[in-house]
Amino acid sequence: MKRKERTEILIQGSDAIARDFAKEIEMKYTVTVIQQPENGLVLLKARETAKKSLFYLGELLVTECKVQIHDSIGIGIVKGHQEELAYWLAVIDAAYQADLLETRVWSHILEKEKENIQKNRQELQQSILRTKVSFETMDVQ
Amino acid sequence: MGYVAVRGGTQAIEESIKRLKYERLKKGTVLDVHKIEDGMRGLIDQVMSESSLYDQSLAAIAIKQAEGNPEEAVFLLRAYRSTLPRKHVSRMMSSEDMQVERRVSASFKDIPGGQILGATTDYTHRLLDWELEKETEESIQDWLYAYHAENRLTEYDQRHMSDITNLPKVLDYLRSEGLLASCENNDLQPEDVTRKSLEFPSKRSERLQVLTRGQTGAVTSLAYAVIRGYGALHPTVGELRVGQLPVYLDHPLDEGQEEDSYYIGDFQATEVEMLVPVTVEKERGKKEMEFEIGYGLCFGQNETKAIAMGILDNCLENPNADFPSQNEEFVLYHIDSVESTGFISHLKMPHYVTFQSKLDSIRKTKEKASTGETGSGNE
Repeated sequence: MKRKERTEILIQGSDAIARDFAKEIEMKYTVTVIQQPENGLVLLKARETAKKSLFYLGELLVTECKVQIHDSIGIGIVKGHQEELAYWLAVIDAAYQADLLETRVWSHILEKEKENIQKNRQELQQSILRTKVSFETMDVQ
Repeated sequence: MGYVAVRGGTQAIEESIKRLKYERLKKGTVLDVHKIEDGMRGLIDQVMSESSLYDQSLAAIAIKQAEGNPEEAVFLLRAYRSTLPRKHVSRMMSSEDMQVERRVSASFKDIPGGQILGATTDYTHRLLDWELEKETEESIQDWLYAYHAENRLTEYDQRHMSDITNLPKVLDYLRSEGLLASCENNDLQPEDVTRKSLEFPSKRSERLQVLTRGQTGAVTSLAYAVIRGYGALHPTVGELRVGQLPVYLDHPLDEGQEEDSYYIGDFQATEVEMLVPVTVEKERGKKEMEFEIGYGLCFGQNETKAIAMGILDNCLENPNADFPSQNEEFVLYHIDSVESTGFISHLKMPHYVTFQSKLDSIRKTKEKASTGETGSGNE
């Protein structure tokens, strides 16, 4: 599973998955923290739709952490002040970078969590769709 | 006359700061920052947008410290922001990826995907709800339970599920009809007004950045002036969207690989596309009506500000010396919360020396005048 999809599931899903994956790696390998979780900013670049040009919308507070397993560096970065999650994400990223055996069995857990996320999203969408207007044309005398 | 340093206010300042804390605490109530974050969504969104820093928790602390004063809260957040390292620039975000929570058009009744009202005060009666005085934790839990039960997915819902991600844009419909000039993506990298001071004529990216972080009241008032006649625009909301935008970052050593990018979370934004009818002169002096777009995008659910931003965007794209609202220097230099409130409020700080110098000048003028009068009387 590629990083984009993986980080979507780990951040949108339950924190327990990231925590359990990271603990599993910590128990079996030496994890060296290169950069403790710290706050920083991400500048948001957006495309406007009038002339389709780019501009900066503002900045987002993030927490970022970097760790090393063997020769592989993992980066964990997440919106807001979330030190533990940033660390867990960094360990998981390093595990994938190092192609550790454990990562191969994580896919089905992630796929299952993806289904939960989609179900929750469908419920949210359905409740939003209750506010969709159903126009009726009134009789004109 | 130059500035002269004076001393003697240290103790008074310390006591004043203590007094400020006393004013915040004197009723013995501790305002829980989580309650501010959970219950003051409108103020949080306004403060984040004007601060140009998205984080609800930080905004809640700033609001608590500022005792609910938005200009002070924005000042605090801008100051805090300046202490943080900027670690990354996001991959380009597009509103087509927005998880829509609300989406309406004032121009077309039947838009693909429909008019989705979402959460809005637009159709409320604006009557004070006295029941809120009696609201309890228990009563809201009951209400939430009933709401969730009402919204639980049924088998019928699952079979007839509509997808509201990637809703088609109203502008794309107009472009496909040939009613709006189509344009190609412009990938010119934007300027950043927080790193490089504005110079005129400004670039489009600079104008949009200043407008999106502008003070809500100032942006709204200037746009209102445009519609009242201090401008030459008669716009309609083509589409307004509120929803969550996902943020992705490239790997520092492997830029450009979308599938290998990092997802870091979503944030809420309001996007508005204003349709502005204009008369265009074609061949042989033939005049035709066309639409131009005014664009607004800001943090949080800030609909009035996003609409106003769209109006001012179009104004500044079409400079007109007859109207200050179509003068980029007038608009862009006066809508920033920290700059405008900072300058106006600094007027109450000690100006003893400059004022004394003005006083001396007035006294001398009056003395001269009275001497002149006496002199002329003697003649």
